[in-house]
Parts: sequence; structure tokens; C-alpha cells
Amino acid sequence: MRNTAALAVFLIGITCASAPAWTAGSNQVVKLRRLSEQEYRNSIADIFGKDILVQGMFEPQIRISGLVATSTAVLSVTPAGFESFSKMADSIAIQATDEAHRGRLVSCSPRSAKAPDDACAGEFFSHYGFMLFRRPLTADERQARVNLARAMTRSSGDFYGGLRYGLAQMLQSPNFLFRKELAIGGKALRLEPYSRAARLSYLIWDTTPDAELLHAADTGELNTAAGMDQQVDRLLASPRLEAGMRAFFTDMLELDTFDTVSKDSLIFPKWSAAMALSAREETLRGAIDLTLHQNGDLRDLMTTRKTFINRNLAAIYDVDFSFDGEWMPLEFSPDSGRSGIVTQVSMLSMFSHPGQSSPTKRGVALMDIFLCEPTPTPPANVDFSVINETNGPLKTVRERLMAHATTPTCASCHTHSDPIGLSLEGFDTIGGRRLMENGQRIDLSATLQGKTFLDGPGLGRYLHDNPKFPACMARKLYAYAKGIDTEEVDASAFRTAYQAFADSGYRMRTLIKGLVESPEFFDTPAAVKEASARQQALR
Amino acid sequence: MPIHRRTVLHGMIQGSAAVMAVPFLDCFLDGKGQALAATGQRIPTRFSTFFFGLGLTTSLWVPKKAGLDYETTVQLKPLEPFKKKMNVFSGMRVMVDDNPNFQHWSGNAAIATGIAPTKVSQFDSKTIDQTIADAISRGTRYKSVAAAASGDPKHCYSSLGGANTLPAEPSPLSLYTRLFGPGFQDPSSGAWQPDPQVMLQQSVLSAVTDERRDFMRNLGAGDRARMEQYFTSVRDTERQMAAELQRPDVVAKVAIPAAPGEMPVNYALPNVRAVTPLMARLGALALATDQTRVFNLAISEPGSNIFVPGDPLGYHVTTHMEAIDPVLGYQPHVAQYNIYSMELLASVLKELDAIPEGDGTLLDHSLVFAYSDQSYAKIHAVDGIPIMLAGSASGRMKTGYHIAGGGNAVSRVGLTAMKAMGLSVDGWGKGSMETKSAYTELLA
Repeated sequence: MRNTAALAVFLIGITCASAPAWTAGSNQVVKLRRLSEQEYRNSIADIFGKDILVQGMFEPQIRISGLVATSTAVLSVTPAGFESFSKMADSIAIQATDEAHRGRLVSCSPRSAKAPDDACAGEFFSHYGFMLFRRPLTADERQARVNLARAMTRSSGDFYGGLRYGLAQMLQSPNFLFRKELAIGGKALRLEPYSRAARLSYLIWDTTPDAELLHAADTGELNTAAGMDQQVDRLLASPRLEAGMRAFFTDMLELDTFDTVSKDSLIFPKWSAAMALSAREETLRGAIDLTLHQNGDLRDLMTTRKTFINRNLAAIYDVDFSFDGEWMPLEFSPDSGRSGIVTQVSMLSMFSHPGQSSPTKRGVALMDIFLCEPTPTPPANVDFSVINETNGPLKTVRERLMAHATTPTCASCHTHSDPIGLSLEGFDTIGGRRLMENGQRIDLSATLQGKTFLDGPGLGRYLHDNPKFPACMARKLYAYAKGIDTEEVDASAFRTAYQAFADSGYRMRTLIKGLVESPEFFDTPAAVKEASARQQALR
Repeated sequence: MPIHRRTVLHGMIQGSAAVMAVPFLDCFLDGKGQALAATGQRIPTRFSTFFFGLGLTTSLWVPKKAGLDYETTVQLKPLEPFKKKMNVFSGMRVMVDDNPNFQHWSGNAAIATGIAPTKVSQFDSKTIDQTIADAISRGTRYKSVAAAASGDPKHCYSSLGGANTLPAEPSPLSLYTRLFGPGFQDPSSGAWQPDPQVMLQQSVLSAVTDERRDFMRNLGAGDRARMEQYFTSVRDTERQMAAELQRPDVVAKVAIPAAPGEMPVNYALPNVRAVTPLMARLGALALATDQTRVFNLAISEPGSNIFVPGDPLGYHVTTHMEAIDPVLGYQPHVAQYNIYSMELLASVLKELDAIPEGDGTLLDHSLVFAYSDQSYAKIHAVDGIPIMLAGSASGRMKTGYHIAGGGNAVSRVGLTAMKAMGLSVDGWGKGSMETKSAYTELLA
């Protein structure tokens, strides 16, 4: 831990800097990413403290090629969204400057609590501007807030009222709500150090860069391999890595889908909104425990029978819950049919119908999530009737689905997506175990890309042994970190990182470190830049 | 003493702060105060949209007779009480030209913009409600308000263009809070007065707008467009605050109820049935008290996941998987789901029609644009998507007609709606759907 007093001096000192070199005209904003709800919440908690409440609506997220992170580089702020940001900003600013918090959050005391004090206000705005905008304010930017606060103090007769409005202004400024990644021109565009700090911090900790990281940006340490290495190691060693990877797993596993999953409580009375929250938490806990706490092989996410459950989940998994606390570690029995994430309630229930499992939905989702193989949408003019005719001769979903195989247009995609789903037919739409359907024993076998397997454990082993799975994870982490489209990531972009990842036995920390320390991580090749500009222009 | 607020603030933010001798607030209060006395009686015309997924069954909803006095069909039966107050459009075409027919998207986007979308889940221009809002919402607190009756804020097909849709309020309580929570003052209350806080907040927003030039520096074309949307949103919020300083002219006599409680909002039909009329009532009250003039309500997404408890498949999957009954000639379960959509539309119209206003009702001073994403959902067909225009737009639209579209571009309906709303537009749409011919026979 660095000397915080030295940092404080540095933070104050930086306010006097003239306009930094990176504001020169030849530079290029290579990415402009809207803060996600969690990034916003985490940033506020880190800058002002966890007791500052963040209340209000965030704009809904959308997913592009499997990642919400990608959409943050496409979305803007709507009128209703800004209105909400504006109210949130004011509420945060009121709290930060109220009597309960100003002692801790306002570092200087005004000459009078009822009159403007430009020096104290300037110090306040320099500090919070630096933290919120993730870079030093220019002299003009600082002065603008001082002027606003002065006018507001005059009208309200309250120095802290002035600070409140100036702070509220910064909190709804595009400089806070968007992460602007600025690159310095040349043959290849290279991210300037503050943009590097933000990209690292939001990737690894899911929050705004801390003072030490910003300091490393300011001194140029982040431009050197050794300085970068030191900071990356520090970020990876921190327990806050957990928050960062939770955010990644939530996005990659599409766990936010749960927010709008409805199940038919008439057919499945065990289901409730609380169940969705529990199932999401189970998956995150398990993934974090295996990849970070145990520093395990990421591929084991597909095969482990170890998990964590609460009382809700015990009902679906049909196990005893004999535990005082909220979450209990559990190891499923070998004959449970359970095998890692793919057989958890979360994955099984998110990709199903309200009252019926769907091999196709499960297959399409898992192929995309774990193997980076999206399935094309079906042709518009298709008759699916035969699949639902349960009174006919085809009793199980498998039999009905197999009817597709006789139609060549359907077969090309369904042979791609259905096998994964069919091997999971031993689980109903809320993830409970079942072995019969409409009076007939369910066939849990599947053949995919020449490999035949059976039930959850067979599927888990298939994915575990499929090199496309860890490669897909590396691809998604890369796209997630840079806010680009998974499908547009060139394999060469993460080749060295992937090799290190494989050599380490698929350890998550090695993958992250390999990605962020690869020379191209902070570069945008000129060609790519033009292509993305063209694409944006078409948008 | 009239002082232009922006002039003062602009100077202030640029660093040449004016030292004001009078307290900052009072000069504005005085300047604005005069406007408060002015209360007119003109009733504004409002615009609403109602989105329902998965269309209707052509053989069960399209009347055989066109024009006035068409027969009430099985699926239009729920709307019979409003037959004289609405028009129905059948046989309108969505022409995708060289673009794909994005399933559950192209039809919806084409009706809302007059343009076949080039990307799934994106609009190629501003949607019709926003174009209309630009023209009619001046001076109201909200330019538009949206609600989603199955609880997903993404269920709103209103956009300034691109991937962003305006977020919908996902529950009656959140809708209520936005409309009638903090910041709302009942315009009919004697205690109404401008909130001095608002002016301070306006100054903050001005300072955000002042960052525009610097922020735009070094941005590529796509990001510039995104930031234009952001700064438009800032200006909208500023305008909204300006509106909060003036008491709205309200003719309708309505009482604002207490806040609704928490309730389940999801795809289960009984919940959608409870939530839809409640959201419609709150929307109607917002329109009546001039909090907004544009209200968008969606009962689901396109490709609706609404389900009847006990039906393991739900609406969307049923449209694809249910066989056509050889005797009936249609999909019986789908047909029943279709009727639920029309019942929900009827429940919305009922709420608008229940508020007396001037010589008629709120519905009479509205135009409600109801539409869907598909005509025959089973095969994702987009020709003949059902569209309804309810309300007479303060007498500017003749009602009671069935327009048999005969393959005309669906954009003709949107153009007709805009003209009825008093917009001066010559044409609308792009490609094969570009049109200059509104249904002038409907325009009074």
C-alpha cells in the first residue's frame, strides 16, 4: 500500500497542471462506452463511500453478439435515461455535501459556510473531477465548476449548496457517464495512460481506477512494461478481482436474462422471483470459487459437481438443506446427472419456455455462450406444428424435434444446436431432475461434431475437452475488455494470451494478465480504426 | 425584470461570472410569474401507441366489408364499444426491399418509422411517436412517457433512432412515481407554485450543455451521433424543467389517486390483465393533467412471451408450433391469444374514454395508434399486420371505418396519423414505402 498522504498531495498538486498533452488535436477517441449500472454503482461507492445511496432507474441494457459490454460502445442516453441520471446525480451530491458526510468528503473548510470560497471549492472540484472523469480537469473545466458553485452559493446562501450543484453537474456530465478512450495518433493508435488505467480498472475490478492507478497513469508508469506489470499484479492480487469477474461472468453467461424470466407457477409452483436470484447467485459463487478462490482450471466449470446452494435451490435440487447460514457448499452425488454450470438451475431455466424445457433454446444458447458458435435464425416460413403434437405418435420432445432432421433446411441448423439441448432433457424447465416425459423414458444421448455423449455429465465432459470452450472464453474476455463485437475479434489478437492461459492449466488470472499485457491490448491498428469508423457511419 | 437565464449562465460558466446584486432566484421568479396567471381552455390533442405482439388471425379479424358500417368480426368483438370511435386498417404491406425480413422486428420497425430496418433491434430513424412529440409536446413536463405491461423496460418501440429505445416504466408503481411522485404538482390545486429548486437545476443542466463542444472533439461519426442524442436528452430535460415552472392548463376534472402497491408484473396473462388497465389509467391521468402528450404502452415485446398459466408453451411458441385445425382452418389456441390482445386494447381505450374533457372525452382528443409485428406469426408474415387508429384527434380524424389496404404501403397509415395530429408533413417513409398519400378521406 502506498503512502496515502503522498497521494493526497499529488491529487491536490495535479489541479495546477496546465492542459495535458493528450488534449492535442491529432488524437482520436477510439471507444466511447456508457457506464453500466454496476460500473456506475461501484464507481460512486468507491469515490464517495458505500453509505451514499444510489437510487433510480438505469436504462435497460441490450446484448450484442453475446455481450452487454459490446452494447456500451453503441448506446447513448435517452431523455428518460438522462432525467434519471440527473436526479441520481443530485441525490448523490446532496448526500456527499450534507452535514453527515462533508467532514469526510470535503477536504477543506470554507472561510464562511455562507459565502463563496473559490479556493476551497476549487480543491473540491479538482479532486472529485479527477476521480469522476478519471483524469485531471483542465483549468477551464475546473474554473467552470468554481463559477457555478459561486453563483449557487450566492443564490442559496450556503457554501455547501454551491458544492452540491457543482458536484451534481459533474455526475451528469458525459465525462463521467461515458468512458472516453483516447488514443494518440501514429501508425497505430495507442491509448493514452488515463484511458489505460480506466480500461484496466473496469475490466479487473468493475469500477473506476483508484488513486494509485491514476497516479501511475500520471507519472507515465503505465506506459512502461514494468510499471504496467506492477499495477496489473496489484489489481489481480486484490480481493476486488472478484467483483470484476462477477461482472464478466454475469455478462458472458447472460445471467441478466433472469430479470425478465417468467415461469408458469401453475405447472411449477416451486418457482418464484427469489428462485431466479438464488440461481444467479449459485452460478456466480461457484464460478468465482473455482476460478479465483481455488485458482482452478476454468474448464472444470463444466464438470465440477461442487456448488453452493441456499434453501430455495435445495427444493429444486431435491437435497436436504441442513445449514444455519444462507449458503451451503454442496457436492452432488455422481448419479445426480449434475455437471458444472450447464446443469445448474440458472442455465437450465433461463433457456426454456415458461412451462416446458426447450432443447433448441438450451442448445442455441450454450453453443453461443460456451463455444462462440451462434446459430442462424430459422427461415421465416417454417411449419413447426409436428413438434408440438403430443397426442400424435411422437411422445417426447426428442422424437418431435428429430422430425426436423428429415427437412434439409431445418437439419443444417438443428443438428448444430439440438444435441446439447437433448442431452439436458433430463432436467425440466426450472432445472429439476426428471427421467420420464409423457410416460416414456427420456433418451439423454446426443451426438455432436462426431462425439457421442450422455446426460449432463457427458455434455460437461464434451465441453471440458473441447478446445473451443477455453478459446471462446478468451475471445469473450477480450471483447468484453475492449467493448468490441465478439464476432469481430481476430484470433491473432489474443493468441499469446491464450497460449499462456493454456500453459497455466487454464487459470483465469493468467488469462487476464496475458490479455492486458499483450502489446496490442492498448493499440488500435489503423485499419481496424477505419473499418469501425465506416461501420459506425453506416449505423 | 426579464433576464434571459441562459445568457446569464453561459457567461457564468465561461468564467466571466456576473456578480448579481439581486438574489439569483428572485429575478427569474418575477420574470416567470406573469405566465402563471394565463389559463386558457384549449384542449391539446394527444398521441398514444399500443403495441401488441404476434398480430391477429386474418380469417377471424378482417371484416369483409370496407368503409363505414363494416361487420364486427370475431377478433374485433372486444373493440365493439369503440367501433364508432376508431378505424381499422387491414391489408397494409410492409415492403422490406433489399433488407432482410427480420423476424418479429421488420414489421414493427416499418410501421413505427415507415422504413424497413437494416439491422435487427434497431430503428433506421426516429419513431412516429417521437416525431409527433417534437411537434406537440412543447411545454409539457415529459416529452413522452412509456410503460411496459409485462415488466421489461426494454418493451418500448419508441426511439430517436438506432439501438436505443426509450426505457419504459416496468410497473404501475414506477409509472406512478415518475408521473405523480416527487416533482409533480396537481395543476388543479390552489397551492400550485413553481418550485425554486427547478431553476437551480436548470443552471446545472446549462453547465452540462456547455461541455458539448469540448466533449465532441476527436469523436468519430458514430460516436458524434450518439452524443448528439445525449445532448438532445439534456435539452429535453431542460425543457421539461421549464415546463414545471408553469401551471398546465387543464380542462379535465380528475383526481390523482394514491400510489398503487407493488404487484407482480410479468408475462402471466392474469398479471398483464391487471397491469394493463392500471397503466392505461395512469397514462390517461398524465395526459389529462398535461404532464405529457405522448403515452406509449406495450403489453409485450414482438414475439410475445405472454402465457396463460397452464400452457407450457406460451403465446410465441404456440404461434409456431400449433397445427392449423383442419376443420376450423386456423390455430385455435393462437386465435384465443389474439383475442386477449384485443381485450387488452379495449381496456386501454376504456380508460381514455372514461375521462370527460370539454365536449367529449380524453379519447376524443387523442389518437391511439395500435399495431403489431406480424400478420400471420406462424410464418413471420408482415403483409396485413393489423393496425388501428382510435380516437378522433379532436375531430381531425373521421372514425368508424375499415380501410382495406389492398397491398398499399403501411406507411400510409403513419402519414395519415401525423396529418391528423396536425403535423405539416408531405410524405413519410423510405424506399418502396415512401409515400405522399395519406388517407385523406379520413381527415376532417
